[in-house]
Amino acid sequence: MNDPFMNLKSSMKKSVFKDLSFSNERKNAVREAIRANQQSQPHNWNIETIIAILESVQHESKDGYNISIQLFQKNERTFQKNEGQLYTLLHLLENKEIITSNWINKKKYYSLNSKGKKYLATYKQDTSKQELSLKHLIEEAAL
Amino acid sequence: MNELNQLAVTDEMMLDEREQIIDQLMHEYSDDILHLVYTYVKNRATAEDLTQEIFIKCYERLNQFNGQATIKTWLYRIASNHCKDYLRSWYYRKITLSNKLLDYIPSKSKQVEEEVITNSEENRLTNAVMNLPLKYREVVFLHYYEELSLIEISKITTVNINTIKTRLKRAKELLKDKIIEEV
Repeated sequence: MNDPFMNLKSSMKKSVFKDLSFSNERKNAVREAIRANQQSQPHNWNIETIIAILESVQHESKDGYNISIQLFQKNERTFQKNEGQLYTLLHLLENKEIITSNWINKKKYYSLNSKGKKYLATYKQDTSKQELSLKHLIEEAAL
Repeated sequence: MNELNQLAVTDEMMLDEREQIIDQLMHEYSDDILHLVYTYVKNRATAEDLTQEIFIKCYERLNQFNGQATIKTWLYRIASNHCKDYLRSWYYRKITLSNKLLDYIPSKSKQVEEEVITNSEENRLTNAVMNLPLKYREVVFLHYYEELSLIEISKITTVNINTIKTRLKRAKELLKDKIIEEV
């Protein structure tokens, strides 16, 4: 029994796919979209905001809601009326392995990773220099 | 402190790297992906639009690629899912389908698009495959045109390998029926 689909490839190449190729214009359009995406994405998180978050989970793990309460108490208003952004940032920090999370009773509890502890320690030691590299990291993290 | 700066530098390189990876993927696979998309949507312009979106999607998701499959399989899977999403979308169901209905209304100045209908063997086989129901068309295309193994197809479509075998077999039967019908 010969396979009826045996010539499919050559058949399609000669018929429906004739001259059907992903053009350079299309490729460039993809590249442009990627670049635009790179420029628009970096969200300029405030270093103080990040440090405040790290500090809030420094001693015990907390869920997002309790972190937001603590930030509020510290007079950190970045996420006021914009609470969703906090979760975005938490997610980014998690991706960057600065914090880790744990699901307990349907709530996600965040705590510091060893990397996060190091950031926090160095930040306290040396504010000026740290600001630069953390800032860099955050811009990258936003991608 | 040095360590941190280094980290920042590698992160920056990552960005460039990601762009390069997409460039490479486009170089290697864009035609294959475009052809795959065409078999789903059967329209050249739509296929080109969707392919463009697929590569952008890949860029956005690149950090989610975990190396469990080859990057090719991963790319195909994104492409396949993207097409299925499109076919399920409101736009496709309401707008495109109703436009299609217009095609069935007979008109005198019928513009036959690109595909000149000749009765060559090639066109008959291609048309027969393109007219297969999606689930058969998909596996036939991946297996015979893209020449992927059953395991790879299983990973791309998340369909059990035995189901794929059955679908290929059934597709052959459907094709034979068609050809007998035409003769």
